[in-house]
Amino acid sequence: MTLNHHRASQLLSAYLDRELGPADAVAVQEHLLDCPECRRAYEELQVTKGLLGQLPVAEPPAGFWAAVRSPGLARAPGAAWPRLIFGRRLAWASAAVIMALVLAAMPLVKGTIDRLHASEIGVDLYVRQHAQAMGSEPFTDRAYLGLTTGDADLVLAGDAPPAGAAGR
Amino acid sequence: MNGALLVRVLVVAGAVVLATAGTNVAAPLMQLPVPPDRVLQLALDAPRLIDYEGTKIITVLRNGHAETVTAAEFHKRPNMTRLEYLSPEDVSGRLIVDDGATAWHYEPRLNLAFEGPSLNESLLRGDLSLLHRNYHVTGLGIEEVIGRQACVILLEPNGPGVSRELWIDQATGTVLRTEERDPSRGVVLTTYFSRISFSLNLPAAYFKFRLPAGARVFQIPSPSEESASPEALGRQAGFTVLVPPILPEGYTFNGGAMSRFGSLTSVDLGYTDGENLLSLFEAPAGSIGAPAFGQDVRVAGRPARFVDLGYFRVLIWEERGLHLTAVGTMPTDTLMAIAAQLVSDQEQALAHSVSTQVAVDPEMVSRLRRQGLTFPEIARAVVLSQRLAVDVPTAVQFLQGTLSTAQLAQSLGMTPDALQGTVRDALNQASSVGPHLPAH
Repeated sequence: MTLNHHRASQLLSAYLDRELGPADAVAVQEHLLDCPECRRAYEELQVTKGLLGQLPVAEPPAGFWAAVRSPGLARAPGAAWPRLIFGRRLAWASAAVIMALVLAAMPLVKGTIDRLHASEIGVDLYVRQHAQAMGSEPFTDRAYLGLTTGDADLVLAGDAPPAGAAGR
Repeated sequence: MNGALLVRVLVVAGAVVLATAGTNVAAPLMQLPVPPDRVLQLALDAPRLIDYEGTKIITVLRNGHAETVTAAEFHKRPNMTRLEYLSPEDVSGRLIVDDGATAWHYEPRLNLAFEGPSLNESLLRGDLSLLHRNYHVTGLGIEEVIGRQACVILLEPNGPGVSRELWIDQATGTVLRTEERDPSRGVVLTTYFSRISFSLNLPAAYFKFRLPAGARVFQIPSPSEESASPEALGRQAGFTVLVPPILPEGYTFNGGAMSRFGSLTSVDLGYTDGENLLSLFEAPAGSIGAPAFGQDVRVAGRPARFVDLGYFRVLIWEERGLHLTAVGTMPTDTLMAIAAQLVSDQEQALAHSVSTQVAVDPEMVSRLRRQGLTFPEIARAVVLSQRLAVDVPTAVQFLQGTLSTAQLAQSLGMTPDALQGTVRDALNQASSVGPHLPAH
């Protein structure tokens, strides 16, 4: 088989690394005998390969392999996307779980706040309702009822301490 | 402030009242020109017949100490009130305008208005039947109050409770002065007019509230308007309502209501003796905690909290998953005894005892209990129905004051006096079979 100059120059690196089949290797060898330009290129490749073989092998920095093995890092682009999507799903799932827990806990928290609030205003709320009901009894003094309900109103609106809290 | 100190302060205040009112306590009182019952009826009818405006002085325990509060009080017949509080400083400027349907409370320092139900409910439909049944009414004579002749009437409860003295203007029926006395602590509330003038017609516009510019409105939660039985209230509220088994002599079920404040749902059972009221508020135990103030006490060995507000007293405890709050004017021991009866839970034993003693079907006892009646009240109703040969519901209506003596006497073809005599005998018989509130 006869090779033209262009094709032979493309196979020089593979010929040097002994990667060609027998027929291609014989054809490149015959071309090198007839082509001084390809011979010179072949000699330059031999020198370069020799120089590369003399370079020291560099050790990777500490933590490099751990970083490479960790999800989503130092991956080929095609492999990173599923990892990234999986990671985002995990993050959303975590957020959803946290939100569900918060929503589930809200009645408990609100219930506790309501209970604390109710314990503060409960006496005034009930005294007000009692005073209101006393309005149906004959001879109950209206000015006194107004005073009592008025004081309780301020507690219910959060503008006064509970009635029994003072001086006791 | 403890009770003894309060009593001392109020006694001094009472002395000042007497001095300012121009009463000569040493002088013998003139006899009343009419029976005391007639004077009381005159006082009950007066707000429907006259207008007045005056300055009222109230002395009561407030914010932990005895305090004197001054207010300008305006009344327009039949059921409108305007109250302008003048002193002390923390209430100065407070305005309450009640048009008979709605009561507005305005606080100028906060520019805040509160809208709630009227306080004048009794002025149109007042009735003295229960009061006459449960109080001993005595006419003490005539005294002069702020230059006016006043009939002095003493109301003493047959059972434990606050007694009340009323100075009723002989000419108009207006109550010029009141004094309430607790058996254990003496005088707990005094009110009197230091000045009053009567008018034929105060302007109606004075009794219409106008919301000031920029004022915020706070809606006061009002209990359900229609009274309901504990059984019906329990269905609405979602918990079993406890009915007090025994109350002091004469207290009768006055009605029940449900109210909501935020997430707090409460049921209120009211019991009256015709002059004073006991309210029992019930809410799920988890929905409300005990207040941080008050005194720790024990009710039938269980922890409870007692809050003494001077005139009103409050007892708080928990029972069968419910937070219970009793509010009333009755003595502390009586309040504790009422709570102890609920804690002891002798429902079945009391039901059996009453049905046996007054010879009535146990199912009738259970039905009346579900309607809110106490065991003594059931005994009274059954005995009265047997004596008068009327059905039990009619006897209950009569005892609760929704059926008057005149109406029942007419339907039975009896004179009111004869009916009253039969009723007295029946109630004495019922009282002898009990059950009674034990001394705490």
